[in-house]
Amino acid sequence: MNHVHRLLTLCRGDSEAMVPWLEERDSRWLVTCAVVITLGCALYGGAVGLWRAPIQAAYTAVKMPLLIFLTCGGNALLNGLLAQVLGAGLSFRQSAISILMSFTLASLILAALTPVALFVLVNAPSLGSAERGTGHSVTMLTDVLFIAYAGVVANGRLLRLLTRICTTPEAAKRVFWSWLAGNLFLGAQLSWILRPFIGTPGLPVQFLRDDPLRGTFYEAVFGAAKNLLF
Amino acid sequence: MNQPNDPASPNPTPPNWRTAGPPQSPPTVPELPIVTTPLAADAAGPTVLETLLKRPVVLVAALQEARSSRFALLLGGFALLALAAYGIVVGTFSGGEQLYLAPLKISLGALASVLICLPSLFIFASLSGAEVTFRGVLGVLSAVLALTSLLLVGFAPVVWVFSQSSDSLGFIGLLHLLFWLIGLAFGLRLLGMMMDHLRVRDRFHIRVWSGIFVLVSLQMTTALRPIIGKADTVLPPEKKFFLGHWADTVYGEAGSRD
Repeated sequence: MNHVHRLLTLCRGDSEAMVPWLEERDSRWLVTCAVVITLGCALYGGAVGLWRAPIQAAYTAVKMPLLIFLTCGGNALLNGLLAQVLGAGLSFRQSAISILMSFTLASLILAALTPVALFVLVNAPSLGSAERGTGHSVTMLTDVLFIAYAGVVANGRLLRLLTRICTTPEAAKRVFWSWLAGNLFLGAQLSWILRPFIGTPGLPVQFLRDDPLRGTFYEAVFGAAKNLLF
Repeated sequence: MNQPNDPASPNPTPPNWRTAGPPQSPPTVPELPIVTTPLAADAAGPTVLETLLKRPVVLVAALQEARSSRFALLLGGFALLALAAYGIVVGTFSGGEQLYLAPLKISLGALASVLICLPSLFIFASLSGAEVTFRGVLGVLSAVLALTSLLLVGFAPVVWVFSQSSDSLGFIGLLHLLFWLIGLAFGLRLLGMMMDHLRVRDRFHIRVWSGIFVLVSLQMTTALRPIIGKADTVLPPEKKFFLGHWADTVYGEAGSRD
């Protein structure tokens, strides 16, 4: 089966056909997944950043795949350990490929939605207009919706795959939720460090904000909630 | 052959206990032959359109199994022409240069909507578990547009009558919107037929995609405005979302009457 057919099988969520891929010692499928994540996220990231400036589009096109790889890489050991501790019966390599395949599917969905995102961008009030706040909000809301959709579908497929390969359905659920929690926890902080993705109007276009490691995503959420409530 | 109340029948129908007298046999309805003749690969344009209207399931099957893009191009070409014809009727509301700008904008706008949404339809159909080909998806999407445009052409005389009778941009806009949505509702049913043909039950992703396509097509009408009314420029100088534009149009008219 060539890798284009594999990607279509991944989209269809044919878990039975995917199981043998996890046993392969050959790294070509792993490389294909990495390439698809890079291209898919770069395409979508470019569309996201384009609202602010062309250079922001280039930055976001680099940062979106980077965010995925840093999250996968940062949690690779933990995810592999969790899979074994929680009784899934998966090796480190199998855990890494399963997660990477899930991100590959999300990237494919985002790449397919890139023309729609560009259309929204073309129709959103531009940075130079008086309604630039609306433009920023619309871009952000569209991205949240598209990324959430891609994430939910990709994780749904990951759970289905885990249910097929794990020793018991309970073990599959435990592993899935623990991976999801770990990836969300690290991913949120990494996205905070790698900000800006869209580019706030009024702030300069930068690859990273000045002093990107200062503060955390969770402190910012807590601060925002405090401001809202008190 | 066993009759319904034949004692030899494996499942005899029980007699009707409410009425006295002999049990009545149900009225017999002659079964119509189900025409399942496949569409020939070299079928002429009128035959393809007839199949689209009368036997869409057969056309959808042919589009999925087609080895060339002939049907897709035929349907797409027809859709663009039909939309242009409808566009001329749309242009009669304002007259002047809108008589050629409206058909141009409607045809190209529909084409742009299809091109924007085509990649996501392919992926979303795959997400539903369908074994689709890009050519098959392109074909069905062309058929969706062709059926929608065919219905719009059917609505054209009604639109023309109202365009000549009313000066209200809001009312005519609402009428076009209504007809577009009706046409699209029929057109998008072909996607369900495609999924049936591919024996896929999961329709969730296709419904989400249909929503995206409707939104893109509606936004396209605002991105390419004016289509019904007149303006100093061919394309709008400022960007707006369709809901905002519609609200401005309706409130603008209401304000001008005050």
